[in-house]
Amino acid sequence: MSSKIVVRVEDLHKRYGNEEVLKGVSFILRQGEALAIIGPSGTGKSTLLRCINRLTEPDSGRIWLEDTEITGAKTDMNKIRQQIGFVFQDFNLFAHLTALDNVRLGLMKVKKLSKGEASERAMTELKRVGLAEKAKAYPAQLSGGQQQRVSIARALAMDPKLMLFDEPTSALDPELIGEVLQVMKALAGEGMTMVVVTHEMGFARSVCDEVIFMEQGVIVEQGPPEHIFLQPRQPRTQQFLGKIGELYGGTGS
Amino acid sequence: MERLDLIWQSLPLLWEGARVTVTLTICLLGVGLLLGVPVALGQVYGPRPLVILISGYERFFRAMPILVLLMVFFYGLAFLGVSLPAFGTAVLVFGLHSSAYQSQIFRGAIQAIKEGQLLAARALGMSRLQAIRYIVLPQALRLALPAWSNEYSGVLKDTSFVFAIGVTELTRQGWQIMQRTREVFLIFIAVALIYLVLTYLGTWLLELLERRFGIPGLAGQRREEHGRVV
Amino acid sequence: MSPKIGKWFVAVGMLALVVGLVSGIPQAQTPTFKVCSDIAWPPFEWVDAKGQFVGFDLDVMRIIALLKGYRVEIQNLGFDSIIPAVQAGQCDIGASGFTITDERKKIVDFSDPYWESNQAVLVHTASGLNIITAFKAGNIIGAQRGTTGADWVEQNVIKQGINVTLRLYETYPLAEQDLINRRIHAVVEDEPAAKVAVKASKGALKIAGVINTEELFGFLVQKGDPKRLLARINDGMKEMRRKGIWNNLVEAYFGVDVNLDRVAQCYGDLKGWLDKNQPEAYAENLAACMSGQAYKKP
Repeated sequence: MSSKIVVRVEDLHKRYGNEEVLKGVSFILRQGEALAIIGPSGTGKSTLLRCINRLTEPDSGRIWLEDTEITGAKTDMNKIRQQIGFVFQDFNLFAHLTALDNVRLGLMKVKKLSKGEASERAMTELKRVGLAEKAKAYPAQLSGGQQQRVSIARALAMDPKLMLFDEPTSALDPELIGEVLQVMKALAGEGMTMVVVTHEMGFARSVCDEVIFMEQGVIVEQGPPEHIFLQPRQPRTQQFLGKIGELYGGTGS
Repeated sequence: MERLDLIWQSLPLLWEGARVTVTLTICLLGVGLLLGVPVALGQVYGPRPLVILISGYERFFRAMPILVLLMVFFYGLAFLGVSLPAFGTAVLVFGLHSSAYQSQIFRGAIQAIKEGQLLAARALGMSRLQAIRYIVLPQALRLALPAWSNEYSGVLKDTSFVFAIGVTELTRQGWQIMQRTREVFLIFIAVALIYLVLTYLGTWLLELLERRFGIPGLAGQRREEHGRVV
Repeated sequence: MSPKIGKWFVAVGMLALVVGLVSGIPQAQTPTFKVCSDIAWPPFEWVDAKGQFVGFDLDVMRIIALLKGYRVEIQNLGFDSIIPAVQAGQCDIGASGFTITDERKKIVDFSDPYWESNQAVLVHTASGLNIITAFKAGNIIGAQRGTTGADWVEQNVIKQGINVTLRLYETYPLAEQDLINRRIHAVVEDEPAAKVAVKASKGALKIAGVINTEELFGFLVQKGDPKRLLARINDGMKEMRRKGIWNNLVEAYFGVDVNLDRVAQCYGDLKGWLDKNQPEAYAENLAACMSGQAYKKP
């Protein structure tokens, strides 16, 4: 494949106090690709994701979104972030706003769309995640799965070039995970470029084009899912997937 | 009865005093709000030097007895050639004092908002200021309402100090009527009843406001101690 | 969209600020002097049933202003605040039955004395106490904190070895109320105030006797009298005496047949004389009105 490169990450480092959580991470992501990042907890996956839109400030290394360097000193991050959708583990919906307003707020205040245009667009996105009838509900009136779908709609409404998912199903009850994964799967099918930090191996395997296995701040192994899940080269990857297999009875589900 | 008649005749004067008390209370709460919210925001989000400066401000005004502040502002400033009118001084002094207390109410409310929401706003491309304006403030104000309503009943009573600088409010009206009629008991029973009505009325209105702006899953906590969040 | 709570808050806040500031805007500059008084001490100054500022001190101030060609604005202010306010220049004249003392003279200047006050001993009518037995050892005597009455009990009773208890009150009416409730045996207070108390008590209280303390009341101004008010006040008082105004005012507020409750009507009816710059007519008719005689409205 030789389609356009959307994200390029080069030698990213991040340290919290004495602990170096990212020790030189590099990868590229092309348009339309879905990348899964897997690995044990506390190995810098979420930090890596947050560095990409600089919600967390990297110590060194460079990141580009298409041709713009995100890590540049003079980069207008507010402009960059509009183009990168971010979905949080615990949804982070605005508690005082209805589902519709959650989706609409960025359109009106950041993209400066009129209320009418914003509403129309927001409803389209809510329909896309199957929640048009919940437009008037407040976050506290929605289930976790519904909240996460609204938060995906909120990110999608901004027309992002890239979507980042930070363990989007980890805070959900098991029976609610499916509805969120389904939305994400559809999104990947539509050709959205996305990075997903996840523990859902089945999803990584069946939906993603590329998988990165990370541990202790470095990329241990990277490749297409069939390669990572079926013939992992690195003993650490085998060990990790083996443990997951013990837990869930198989490397996929 | 002759003595009840006396209360009846005194009502216009007491009403006049109550009007002053209520006007002053509303004005001072307004000033305290306009100052208290930025102070709270600065304390939570500001850079370190600002936080120190603001904490100093807040500690100072919370430590000062209101009477001392009134004297300093009214007489002290006049001594330096700055002559402020009495009612304006009262609004300013009580407003500053209340802003210190209100800032703590709002600080608590701001800190009660999950930080993730702020991150989510930034992730959408909002500036820090936009995030505070559209995400933090609307929630913080709602969360603060119950404690704010306690602040109301607290300052309502404090306003009786203003006679020190010549503003005749409810308590002073009662005092003056007592001096004229030598009727101690009934006059102050009447004054007490009026305070009770004002407290209930104000709290009730603020509760209406709470309901009007109420949002499912978003409610502040009522603090029972004398209106102040320590 | 959800209700815009922020806009409401800001609107209310701004409104409050504007109201606060506007109501505080000072009046246009006029050749006016500010007279400050704790208007709660009948018959020297009090607020009548209609909310008017009335009383001897205030009438003297108003009439001197007429005679000397300036205007006065009367400011109601707590007694303890008046001297600081005069010192700070927030008030030009303090007129609130101030006793002239050496201590006060150090920080303000006084006019010529305008009143000699004595202390009355109030007792309960049913107690049968007289001015001697009222101070019997073991008795409780009430007085207002910081007044000559309290001082007199201290100096001339307790320090003389008579074992009475002095109980101090914030204000006369509270001491009188305790006397009516018979929790104390006597109250020592300014004679004119005691007369007001006797009248209001409807027979429960009486004056057992009067002690000549000969304290003198004066009007006070800022130290050094920068606005040159004392000469005008002293001259004005002399002129009032010469024209008979003074005697009529004394008659009006301290006369035997006077009913202070009439003041709301009398002052209301007669203040027009002052507006017409005829203080003689005002004082004469006020004296008549206050003692229930026929009077002439302006």
